[in-house]
Amino acid sequence: MLRKKTCVAMLLAGGQGSRLGILTQNVAKPAVPYGGKYRIIDFPLSNCTNSGIDTVGVLTQYQPLELNAYIGSGAPWDLDISNGGVFVLPPYQKVKSSEWYRGTANAIYQNMAFIEQYNPDYVLILSGDHIYKMDYNAMLNFHVRHGADATIAVRPVPWEEASRFGIMNTDSEDRIVEFEEKPKNPKSNKASMGVYIFTWEKLRHYLTEDENDKKSSNDFGKNIIPNMLNDKQVLVAYNFNGYWKDVGTIESLWEANMDLLQNPMPIDMHDKKWRIFARNPGMAPHYIAKGATVSDSLITEGCEVYGNVNHSILFAGVIVEEGASVESAVVMPGSFIRRGAVVRRCIIAENAVIGPGAIVGEEEGKIAVIGHGVTLPAGVSVPAGDQVDENYTF
Amino acid sequence: MKDVMGIIYTGEGDAQLRELTMYRAIAALPVASRYRIIDFLVSSMVNGGIKNVGVIMQKNYHSLMDHLGSGKEWDLHGKIDGLHILPPFLTRENVGLYPGVLDALRSNTNYLIRSKQETIILSNSKIIYNAKMDELVRFHRDSGADLTLLYTTDENMMKDESGTYLSIDDNHTVKDLEVDPTHPSYSNVYMQVMVIRRELLRELVDKAVAHGLHSMDRDVIQRLVQDGTAKVNAYEYKGMCWNIDSVQSYFKFNMDILDNSKRKGIFREDMPVYTKVRDEMPAYYGNNCSVVNSLVADGCQIEGVVENSVLFRGVKISPNAHVKNCIIMQDGQVHEGAYIENCILDKQAVIKRNARLIGPQAYPIVIAKDVVI
Repeated sequence: MLRKKTCVAMLLAGGQGSRLGILTQNVAKPAVPYGGKYRIIDFPLSNCTNSGIDTVGVLTQYQPLELNAYIGSGAPWDLDISNGGVFVLPPYQKVKSSEWYRGTANAIYQNMAFIEQYNPDYVLILSGDHIYKMDYNAMLNFHVRHGADATIAVRPVPWEEASRFGIMNTDSEDRIVEFEEKPKNPKSNKASMGVYIFTWEKLRHYLTEDENDKKSSNDFGKNIIPNMLNDKQVLVAYNFNGYWKDVGTIESLWEANMDLLQNPMPIDMHDKKWRIFARNPGMAPHYIAKGATVSDSLITEGCEVYGNVNHSILFAGVIVEEGASVESAVVMPGSFIRRGAVVRRCIIAENAVIGPGAIVGEEEGKIAVIGHGVTLPAGVSVPAGDQVDENYTF
Repeated sequence: MKDVMGIIYTGEGDAQLRELTMYRAIAALPVASRYRIIDFLVSSMVNGGIKNVGVIMQKNYHSLMDHLGSGKEWDLHGKIDGLHILPPFLTRENVGLYPGVLDALRSNTNYLIRSKQETIILSNSKIIYNAKMDELVRFHRDSGADLTLLYTTDENMMKDESGTYLSIDDNHTVKDLEVDPTHPSYSNVYMQVMVIRRELLRELVDKAVAHGLHSMDRDVIQRLVQDGTAKVNAYEYKGMCWNIDSVQSYFKFNMDILDNSKRKGIFREDMPVYTKVRDEMPAYYGNNCSVVNSLVADGCQIEGVVENSVLFRGVKISPNAHVKNCIIMQDGQVHEGAYIENCILDKQAVIKRNARLIGPQAYPIVIAKDVVI
């Protein structure tokens, strides 16, 4: 018998993130590198640790290999504990059926037994799609104080963009009176962040009911939340005003990286009271050589810079050779920028080699992407917005 | 290597390291932007397959214990064996203060008895090296020696009136041993790393301490060689090594590894050096900074000029500050308009606005921990 937990977190990490194109060809979106040494999933996991939530189920489905290896025992996030910790939960075979996770609600439904082990009062539902620092414990206190059945984290979005989001219409007491998915004429600008806290007893009931509804698409936003509202359950909106960035597209992933170069940083990564933890590659400190120029950039361990780096982010073990120039680029772990190459406004995935004199991206226009492990021949050029994988023809 | 264990003795004298070892053992000295000396030794052992590592502590061992923790970073936190921290303690037969490694081992006889491994690698903690321990042990076993000493022919390791020097024949047998000679007559420098059978070590330690002897080199190894009562062999370490026994040699090591080939000689891809992780964000380089020939750790924020320097985690260099040939430890700060050259800033030291501090190259200035100038 496991000891009771007040709150268990369930992190939905099964999505492909197809809008990230070749970056998620072989890895799930939450495992995509971000910010020089992190992966997207470090943010929700570190938020859990910093919020005092020590039991986290990570639901995986699409390309889980790298994500599983990355999470490992959970030690980087202090989640390698004996009562609780981090658990990777893939879909599994059952006596009568075996099926994939059909939707966000179904994924949780299939793992009810995992949650029940801890007999929690509350369940926190998270996704692995966003860069943000948030105190889930403060949100949980809010949930308890309001005697809510469900609390949905919302953030204000510009009114003109509100029709792109799931919008919560609330009364003066933050109680949600209506939920509209992508409304044409929004009545509020409070957009759902996909972060929910449910009183477990209620959620269990609605998940079971939803599972029996054959027409349901088994989705929190489309089914569970509207059903609870119809039944006049107490749903409240928790306002979050901090930095929150969706990194679902190439452009937004690039932008979110560039945000870290702003002064002051819109998300405080130096805060010692709220560290973002990551698995450490254990390489030597980085080296800036004689003749190199580096400005307005983030650089981490294992890098060696002999060329020019400006307004860019270099991940662990990146080498920039003499005469190479890196400008407004995100260069992921282990990539190699050869002599005389020019890379700008682009994302270079892990272990790519940019051949001598090759040119990637343009000063204007869309972000170019070089795929995982791709070797770019000497002298070629890749125009803005192109995505280069092994099958690309120059 | 299941049947090999490691013991690291960290009680060496440190008078010449001045303020740097006021609050810490030499083994805990911060080096190379994010490491402590002991990281190299423990990592060497772990990379060689050793799973049982004992660290004998002596004075100022708080920071060392804090750093090693449960041994997790070195994968030494398992159920079977792992990291054993051996601090001094007082009992009827133990005075708590060890005159040398022999007394320290004698006091930790119980650890020696309880350990299961048949062979021990005994290492000092002031020489930085990254050796293939499995090859050393294989050589020791194949040669049928009772004792195998690791040595180097690196000229930088030779020093008048200090160190132990070996005369070795073609069969790798040690023929003679000089301890602290005025001028060494042999060029093989003993690195204070030996391989020995656990039972034999216990026996030798017991006998020596019972006779009031304190020096491992002079009283034990030298006698074995002279009396011919044991087969003492030597194995050459061909990699890079540095003896950290003074402020100058500490400074030199950090400056040496700015050189690519020297750095890669000690940070080898196949033999990673592990250390305690601090989860800092990558280093930030500001718009008008200029950094050349320097090693920089995560968490640094650089807006000024940095030349030929080694910056540790969380160091801040303000705009128009100029840092040349310096070592700045964790969370050090150099404020606007300050100029420092040939300085070693200990942890959290702060150089205020427009201060100027220039040390002679041969005798760098040491700014103690938490000092504000």
